Amino acid sequence: MAFDGSSRVVFQQPPSFIQGGLLLSALGFRRSALGFRLSALGIGLVLGVFACSSESREPRAHSREPWIVDGFGDTVPVRPAARIVSMMPASTEILFALGAGSRLVGRSEFDKWPDEALGVPNLGPGLRPSVETLLAARPDLVILYASEDNRAAARRLREAGIATAAFKVDSIAQFDRLTRLLGRLTGDSARGALVADTVMRTLDSVRARTRGLPRLSVVLPAYEQPLLVIGGGSFMSQLVEIAGGRNVYDSIPLPSPTVSFEDLIRRNPDLVLAPPEYAESIRRSPRWRVLPAVRRGRVLVIDTALVYRPATRIGEGAWSLARLLHPQLAP
Amino acid sequence: MIRFAAARVRYPGQDRDALAGVTLEAPRGSVTAVVGPNGSGKSTLVRALLGRVPLAEGAITLDGAAVRDADRTSIARRVAVVTQREELVFPMPVREYVALGRLPHLGRWGQGSAADRDAVDAAMARAEVDGLADRPVQELSGGEWQRARFARALAQGGEAFVADEPTTFLDVAHEMAVFELLGALAREGRAVLLVSHQLNLVARFADRLILLHDGRVAAAGGVNDVMQAPILENVYGWPLVVTRDPAVGAPALVPLRRGSGTPP
Amino acid sequence: MTARRWFLLLLAIPAALLLAVVAGTIDVGVREALAALAGRGDETTQFVVRGLRLPRAVLALLLGAALGMSGTALQGVLRNALAEPYLLGVSGGAAVGAVLAIMAGLALALVPLAAFAGAVAAVTLALFVAHAARGRADPRVLVMAGVVVGAFANAVIMVLLARADLNAVRGAMWWMMGSVANATWGQAAWLAVYLLLGGVALVAHGRSLDALSLGDDAAAGLGVAVERTARRVYLAASFVAAATVAAAGLVGFVGLVVPHIARRVAAGAGHRTVLLVSAACGGVLVVLADLVARMALPPADLPLGAVTAMIGVPFFLATLRRMT
Repeated sequence: MAFDGSSRVVFQQPPSFIQGGLLLSALGFRRSALGFRLSALGIGLVLGVFACSSESREPRAHSREPWIVDGFGDTVPVRPAARIVSMMPASTEILFALGAGSRLVGRSEFDKWPDEALGVPNLGPGLRPSVETLLAARPDLVILYASEDNRAAARRLREAGIATAAFKVDSIAQFDRLTRLLGRLTGDSARGALVADTVMRTLDSVRARTRGLPRLSVVLPAYEQPLLVIGGGSFMSQLVEIAGGRNVYDSIPLPSPTVSFEDLIRRNPDLVLAPPEYAESIRRSPRWRVLPAVRRGRVLVIDTALVYRPATRIGEGAWSLARLLHPQLAP
Repeated sequence: MIRFAAARVRYPGQDRDALAGVTLEAPRGSVTAVVGPNGSGKSTLVRALLGRVPLAEGAITLDGAAVRDADRTSIARRVAVVTQREELVFPMPVREYVALGRLPHLGRWGQGSAADRDAVDAAMARAEVDGLADRPVQELSGGEWQRARFARALAQGGEAFVADEPTTFLDVAHEMAVFELLGALAREGRAVLLVSHQLNLVARFADRLILLHDGRVAAAGGVNDVMQAPILENVYGWPLVVTRDPAVGAPALVPLRRGSGTPP
Repeated sequence: MTARRWFLLLLAIPAALLLAVVAGTIDVGVREALAALAGRGDETTQFVVRGLRLPRAVLALLLGAALGMSGTALQGVLRNALAEPYLLGVSGGAAVGAVLAIMAGLALALVPLAAFAGAVAAVTLALFVAHAARGRADPRVLVMAGVVVGAFANAVIMVLLARADLNAVRGAMWWMMGSVANATWGQAAWLAVYLLLGGVALVAHGRSLDALSLGDDAAAGLGVAVERTARRVYLAASFVAAATVAAAGLVGFVGLVVPHIARRVAAGAGHRTVLLVSAACGGVLVVLADLVARMALPPADLPLGAVTAMIGVPFFLATLRRMT
């Protein structure tokens, strides 16, 4: 039995009831009056247990309550949420943009923007969070990162009767959807649409501005050993596309695939875009200097604050990429 | 040539000495046999000689020079040992196996010379394993393996020959052959030290007999002096008689069945 | 070990190197490869051949030689056909060092040093544990001490990785799966020196290993200073293994399988010969394994340790079947 803060008593059936029921059913399968009664009892026990438990398993969306589908494909009821825990940077940032920042009672340790987010209690890692810690914050709504690591946590939270939604932002479309969904979940769909539309309009204007310009090929290295690059499965690849460039690895549908250096030489990008610390070591690395781009000094620094996070500032991020790719656009 | 002087050995963690002050000598030109019941310290003697167990007291010397101070390779050049137990992990042909006996003479980087190869061939012939020279050691029978080990010790050469239970797996013919070989080695001038539990066989070939009991020398001397029923009964803890068959020419221990047989 | 076999074995080495230089994601013909080696031809091809593939192949060769020799020596001194170079906690200790360095965000050049330091610490600890258990001379106690130290190291790694960020975890896992992908001539030179020092020490003890394989008592009878020799062999073999781990992470199975292959090839020769044959066989095996690792699933490399295991298994099965 679990008793959570919002006075909802939750029944958690012990698995032994099911086992006991099945055993009884098996024992009872003999051709005798007693046997039939035992089987009936056993089957009844099993069915009864399932009936009871399914009632309490999740905060099942009642037919007239609105609901959404989250990144795990689960349905999440839309209810007024006064206390929100957001365990991923993108949703934290979007919630602040939606004006719901004051309702946040918990964030993940990686959520550091905007500055106000630092004032929200840090509830630990966004992957495999401690469910107890999250429950202690007594939230109405929990937002998790939709990684397989978090399926168990999502299930436990729902068993405790808390509306839980998991999301990923691997594409701009997912960002758009997340913003609108968060708008609905916080009871202000109009605001959600507004924020999403503003960002989309900015991206459209970047796309229009770079339309006729020469399209450079780009690589975005993320890690040195093993060599990780941003692939087609990441929203950053789409930002590059919008900014008038082409990610040489957009054909690989993973967000950050491992590649061999020989393969990179073969793809021969025009430009290398890297975070500040990494860019410096690339410029000095003997093996990177084999790439014509590096030899010609075409290693540029990305503003990671704008580009690396799939949140409300990706519009500005697209502009910053466009200026790197097409210097003539710089003010 | 090999001399144990009041040697005392205690294995770590034991409350009894394995050897409690043993003094014995194995001179050149004779077969000295160490006998005794299980656990009397026979194998410990050999292991102490090999430097595998440290002496708590006393000394072991070769012609007066303490073994403790000497380099093991130089000892191995002078004393060849056939140990009671040996492992066989990696395959090799018998000839290579016997050639290992030349190790102390080769030095770290040296290649075997013609003299080494001749020594190996002679050793294999003497131990009657020359027909098995190219067979892998793994494929030998228990008896053939034991003879191959003997051959290795023969190839090792030296002035002393120590054998710890050398005939465990051998049939009668080969057993006798080994003992006759040991006798021949002694007559060639080597010091032969033999450890065996086979009292009767040993009695026929040994010049001197040393009887160990609980880590001490219970009796030492010529075969006839040591092979006395009261002495042996005391050590072996079993009723027995000592007989003498003229055809054999040496005393023999015959254990009696408890509760029957004539009192000595 | 006949002259013919030696000839074939020694020929296999440059053949494997040439193959490693020619084959890859970017097509390089034999003629272009040879030209590139001579310093002529297209600049990018030259870099790919001389700057990427050749140091990689040479490092793989040295790696295989080192692991082969280390495995042979340890199997000989422990009289155990399942001994392998990482036995005395080398892999666990090196992994702890490397993971700590990766998580601390140290410069990549420092990770091998940290790994080496970790390996040395682990071997020292294993020897100490065995000594404290009064089993310094007993191979079984030493093996158990190594297993214990290795298990402890694994626990430490799991604790470290549980709280590391995603990229550090990926980096650590990748390191632990072994790779020569980032080979440099500096690394190869370093490993060559360690291999030379350790290898000479092991070959020098080759005859003693022959005697030791008979058992400690019999070896003592043949003049071997058993404890001292065993300790030197453990140290030299682990030293060489630690150097390989520092250079390329954990490449398993090579040190286990190559000694068996080498003993088959050397057909009953003594340890001196078997050690040298292990070096040659191990080198060729790892060069070929790295080739497979590069080419099997582009664009990424497979972990070298995985490929050596996959190639090693059929070899091992074939050897086992012949043994029984």
